[in-house]
Amino acid sequence: MAEGILIENVVKTYGSGDTAVHALRGVDMAVAKGEVVGLIGPSGSGKSTLLKCLGAVIEPTSGKMTIGDQCIYDNGWKVRDLRALRRDLIGFIFQAPYLIPFLDVTDNVALLPMLAGKPNAMARKEAHDLLDALDVGHRAAAMPSQLSGGEQQRVAIARALINRPPVILADEPTAPLDGQRALAVVGLLNDMARQFDTAIIIVTHDEKIIPTFKRLYNIRDGRTVEEIPGAPVPEIAA
Amino acid sequence: MISLAGRDILHGWGKFVLTGVGLGLLIGVTLSMAGVYRGMVDDAQALLDNSRADLWVVQKDTLGPYAEPSSLTGDSERPIQAMRGVAEAVGVTYLTMQIAHGDKDVRVMVVGAEMGEPGLPGQPTHLIAGRHIVRGHYEAVADVKTGFAIGDRVKVRRNFYTIVGQTSRMVSSGGDPMLFLSLKDAQAAQFQKDSDAILRQRARVAASPLLNPPGNPAVALAVNAAQSDNSNVNAVLVTITPNAEPDDVAAAIRRWQRLTVYTRAQMEEILVEKLIANSARQIAMFLVILSIVSAAIVAFIIYTMTIGKIREIAVLKLIGTRDRTISWMILQQALGLGLIGFVVGKIAASLWAPFFPKYVLLLPSDSILGFFAVMLICTLASVLAIQAALKVDPAEAIGG
Repeated sequence: MAEGILIENVVKTYGSGDTAVHALRGVDMAVAKGEVVGLIGPSGSGKSTLLKCLGAVIEPTSGKMTIGDQCIYDNGWKVRDLRALRRDLIGFIFQAPYLIPFLDVTDNVALLPMLAGKPNAMARKEAHDLLDALDVGHRAAAMPSQLSGGEQQRVAIARALINRPPVILADEPTAPLDGQRALAVVGLLNDMARQFDTAIIIVTHDEKIIPTFKRLYNIRDGRTVEEIPGAPVPEIAA
Repeated sequence: MISLAGRDILHGWGKFVLTGVGLGLLIGVTLSMAGVYRGMVDDAQALLDNSRADLWVVQKDTLGPYAEPSSLTGDSERPIQAMRGVAEAVGVTYLTMQIAHGDKDVRVMVVGAEMGEPGLPGQPTHLIAGRHIVRGHYEAVADVKTGFAIGDRVKVRRNFYTIVGQTSRMVSSGGDPMLFLSLKDAQAAQFQKDSDAILRQRARVAASPLLNPPGNPAVALAVNAAQSDNSNVNAVLVTITPNAEPDDVAAAIRRWQRLTVYTRAQMEEILVEKLIANSARQIAMFLVILSIVSAAIVAFIIYTMTIGKIREIAVLKLIGTRDRTISWMILQQALGLGLIGFVVGKIAASLWAPFFPKYVLLLPSDSILGFFAVMLICTLASVLAIQAALKVDPAEAIGG
């Protein structure tokens, strides 16, 4: 299976000398295209740091990261324009939907392709199609404040998918949702991953959704351990 | 690309418009202050225009008759009238005083001018009602701003005068409306002493052996008569013949009459750069302070609006929005606020200008200048908010 994300021995150290904090001590991960994997671990274990490194928001100290065929980091950024990298290669889903409150649902989703220079009409058409696929097409003209939590998260997923990025990074996307809706969102992400051949990493604390992952990475003390599929759900510190 | 600023404004338009209206009232005050200054300059120029003089002859070494007191003998105009290049020379008096009208006092400038043919320097340039003064005494023409109606009788010093005509935009450099009397009446109003003062003066003369030498009562009578003379004028207004040069005629009068003479340009300089200079500086200070306050308000509002959107800005940056797009959004909002403020301010200033006691002149050129100043202030005021937005770390959108 082709690799969607490949992370090799990524290290991130904040500060130096005696005050250095080793957030990541050599992380290795591989996520295939069309695959959804879970990333779990106790608070402070380095989950968010890994997500920020892979999301090109902070620079790792060393290591190598590849998205699809493109090496984006190899002991230094290999891409000049990190914003364009985030816009074109990575979709983000956050703990809260963080939709832009002054844009309607369609424009929240269409904003990314518009930023990439796509004509407004074309971007909106694509957004409508995606919203229909995610079953929120009927709320296309609504403002974010008029949506339920589940609908907002679906719109956030549509926004992450609109540019067809090879990678989606989801930071606790089910945290504000109840059990049924949380499972529905994970199911939706699985469907989208298969449909668009997208590699998805879901950082989560949510025990309800952990059993749904076929592969699971547990990060402890800055290192990842791949959990055996079907093994008992690991204990997660809050 | 959609306008993020426009969408944000539309989303919270009530708050935005109300803020714009508040700012607009401040801009309205600023425009009005500029209008007050323009009004003062226009009043000064109207005073000079309405006098219809080419030269002002005043007491030697004074800045009279408007900026300083000036007194000339009543016959000063006669030798001037005879000089080459002089078309008309008439004596005038100016006296600013309070006149009772009904229950309130009206501040007016009493102008005394020769009441010959209409059109002589010093006379009202035009009438909007009634007629010119035709009798030698006890008639007056008033600027409409005095509130005096035709037929009203007003008391100036000891005498009553009937308003026979109304004129308009005839004001002093201070904006006080003019009340025209015949020269004789105006001289009496300005120079005639009251009865008690005359009695005291006569007593002093009678008691002085020098002014009232024994056996020669004619000396005291002559002194009393000289001291009661009311024929002085404050200035002589001169018009020149078509081919004469004002500077040449002025130089000749200075040389031969040993008086101070001002041309139109010099008189404008005295009025604008000397008489209203302090007021202009005062207004300029207000304009600077109001501009700073406006900038501070816009900066505070835009900064607050931006800080309220930190999470959205972090998300926008995380998903790849460029700094210039975010900066442009904030700048557009600041300019939008300025635009609303300017429109409201211009309308407000135009609406309340007529109710100011002094003339407020709102020039289109000042409005254009004001518009660009507002836009510049808004641009500068947005810098703080833009800096704050650019400092936002896109990582803030990701927890942990």
